[in-house]
Amino acid sequence: MESPSPLLETQHLVKRYGDKAAVDDVSLQVYPGEIFGFLGPNGAGKTTTIRMIVGLLNPTSGSVHVAGYDVQSEPVKAKATTGFVPDEPNLYPKLTGRELLQFVGDLYGLERAQVARRGEDLLRMFDLAEAGDDTIDSYSHGMRQKTALAAALVHDPRVLLLDEPTVGLDPRSARLIKDILRQMAGRGAAVFLSTHILEIAEHMCDRIGIIDHGRLIAMGTMDDLRGQGRKEASLEDIFLSLTGGAEYAGIAEVLG
Amino acid sequence: MSAAAASAGLGFSSAVSTLLRLRVQTVLRGFRRSTRRRKFGTMVLLLVVITLLGGLFALSWVLLGLTRSPEFAGIAGDVGPFINSLPALVLGGAFLGILFTSFGVLLQALYLAGDMDFLLSAPIPHRAVFVSKLLQAILPNLGLLGFFGLPLLFGLGAAGGYNPLYYPMVIAVLVALALAAAGLASLLVMLTVRVVPARRVAEVLGFLGVTVSILCSQSGQLANLNHLSSGQTTRALQLVARLDAPWSPLSWAGRGLMRLGEGRWLEAAGRLALVLVLSATAFAVALTVSERLYYSGWARMQAVGKKKWAARPASRPNLWGSRVRGIPPAMQAVMLKDFRTLRRDLRNMSQLVTPLILGIIYAIMLVRSGGVPDPGRGEAPAWAMEAMRKALSFGGMAIALFIGWSLLGRLAGMGFSQEGRSYWLLKSAPVRPADLLAAKFMIAYLPAAALGWGFLLILSLLRRSGIGTTAFEMMVVALCLAGATGINLAFGVLGANMSWEDPRQMIRGSMGLLSALVSLIYLPTSLALFLGPSLLAPLMAIPAWAGGAAGLALGGAASLVCAIAPPRWVRHRVPGLGEG
Repeated sequence: MESPSPLLETQHLVKRYGDKAAVDDVSLQVYPGEIFGFLGPNGAGKTTTIRMIVGLLNPTSGSVHVAGYDVQSEPVKAKATTGFVPDEPNLYPKLTGRELLQFVGDLYGLERAQVARRGEDLLRMFDLAEAGDDTIDSYSHGMRQKTALAAALVHDPRVLLLDEPTVGLDPRSARLIKDILRQMAGRGAAVFLSTHILEIAEHMCDRIGIIDHGRLIAMGTMDDLRGQGRKEASLEDIFLSLTGGAEYAGIAEVLG
Repeated sequence: MSAAAASAGLGFSSAVSTLLRLRVQTVLRGFRRSTRRRKFGTMVLLLVVITLLGGLFALSWVLLGLTRSPEFAGIAGDVGPFINSLPALVLGGAFLGILFTSFGVLLQALYLAGDMDFLLSAPIPHRAVFVSKLLQAILPNLGLLGFFGLPLLFGLGAAGGYNPLYYPMVIAVLVALALAAAGLASLLVMLTVRVVPARRVAEVLGFLGVTVSILCSQSGQLANLNHLSSGQTTRALQLVARLDAPWSPLSWAGRGLMRLGEGRWLEAAGRLALVLVLSATAFAVALTVSERLYYSGWARMQAVGKKKWAARPASRPNLWGSRVRGIPPAMQAVMLKDFRTLRRDLRNMSQLVTPLILGIIYAIMLVRSGGVPDPGRGEAPAWAMEAMRKALSFGGMAIALFIGWSLLGRLAGMGFSQEGRSYWLLKSAPVRPADLLAAKFMIAYLPAAALGWGFLLILSLLRRSGIGTTAFEMMVVALCLAGATGINLAFGVLGANMSWEDPRQMIRGSMGLLSALVSLIYLPTSLALFLGPSLLAPLMAIPAWAGGAAGLALGGAASLVCAIAPPRWVRHRVPGLGEG
């Protein structure tokens, strides 16, 4: 049987800042109904890759296709299918949560009635209905994170990209996000998730990509990663053996 | 230090000195690491300040000496009461100055600075953190007030031949009053923050600061100071002297210092001792009370303070209301969003209110002149007076354009930069750069044109201008401002800065200057195109209406080119904004 076309595809993606390659020849695909985990140490190039996929950064070379549209040549069509949650939820501080959702709905050209219905549903789901008429500058970090996620879901995107979405969230909200991601994947969306929490990646993601120093050093299912000659049992072991963090285990003894 | 000693933490005085030393080190390190140009600039500034201090002292000495002369009394009347009240007035000014400036500095240092979590969780007494913050807030203000107050008070001493003890006592009294004022300011901050969130207070303070300073600096233009008579001068000085109320501790301090200078020891000692004890008591009480209020206020601010003051929309059904047909939804969304955020952020309002105040002041001056130029000494030639009269007839339009131009510097020039760190929302959304530019154009142009028209209509009514003239001027204002919007917007794209923390950093300096310069060249040029044919029409025996129409065609074409072409030239830059 022919495999479906990927909803998200990067080809030889490169981003250079002077001589330094922040992202170096990254090629990957994410298929409909798939949750893709994107892992890497700090400064490995995760956020830069995501920012190129959503059109916030122009790649030095290579290409990104979202839902079949080239992000460089057809940015409006590509962005219309994408939802994005950044690592830092910088939202307009003087808009209320409800106004922000309306604003995002308008940007995506949704009908007002549709935005209203969906906006209220999302606010209720994220426990923000009561605070929906308060300006965002009065929100806690977790509330802003949830508002950013609600904004990314307003237009029911086919491709959802999340950069560290669970940072600063309480366990209940983190669980809610995991459930939403599963539901979206179940409905055929492609979910691209960057996280430092390896447990989330191990239990939620269908496939995992590990990036280090800008290069994609491993990609596949958990079984694939174990099969690539790495017999370690957990994702943490695989991650540390690939990115070179295992040797620091002795530090704990010094601190102790 | 051993681990055990470290865990015991620092004592109060050690902690205060460590924190203050840290602050001094930060400032010195900042200076050492600055560029050679910056270092040179700082040194020059320091020299200028010292020279100014000396100059101010000498000037006060000479002027205050002059006021004692009979010739001066002949011009200004008896200024004795004013001179006697001078120390109290200077000390009062210093006290109020420190009270108000410390309020802002302390608000920032105690509630809005990012280091409070770290400092309060460190093993040092909380009181030490509080006192060090208080001292950090006072010191710059004390220096500033020293700059204005000391030369004046020392000049008074030198002019009056005061006792040498007067001079150190002036410094002691200034320091005591500064401490008392800062203590009271801290108390005011604590009480205010218990009611209103700190961030909101800072916004209101910034807004009031800008508004009051502009009002104060410009209101002098409304006063006819050059027509002031000797009697009016005396009455004004007597009015000022009345501020030296005998019941006020500031008056006791001023009079105490004067008695000390005159060698009336007993009275001086009584008054000054009372002032010093009162100041110390006020400082101690304020410190103790505000310290207590601080911890509860800090905790309260973290928990509930913000929510109470959040903005609320008028009603929910309106929020999800309908759109205007024919305008892209994304464009409408950006305009509505900008309108809401500009209106709610007082930092923006303080930038926007400036042109309004200036416009009102200039409009009053224009109406008061009755369209007739001031003849001065009557030596100006008739043709110059006629030219001035003609220029004044366009005064309403000039004021309307000035207000619009000033507004556009903020609304169009910073239209993109104001997005700040939230720009990712717009950039990752399916919005065409042309729609984004159009939205930014409209959100800048509409308020500027509306305000310009508003001023023009009011001035036309007050000056009883004809309907034809008013309609012509309205078209000129609308078209001229459209061109200025295009120019400002284009420079705003070129100089956009999305990573600002302070709104003053919104646009990169050189682009802001270039934008102002180019639009300043554009405005008179387009005005010349609009008005030139009308003014030349009588000379060329052409009907006035034809001159007006030709002006509208010429100026209108130039304005429309400036409104459309510059944004089109920079359109390709829009997708790359925010990548730096």
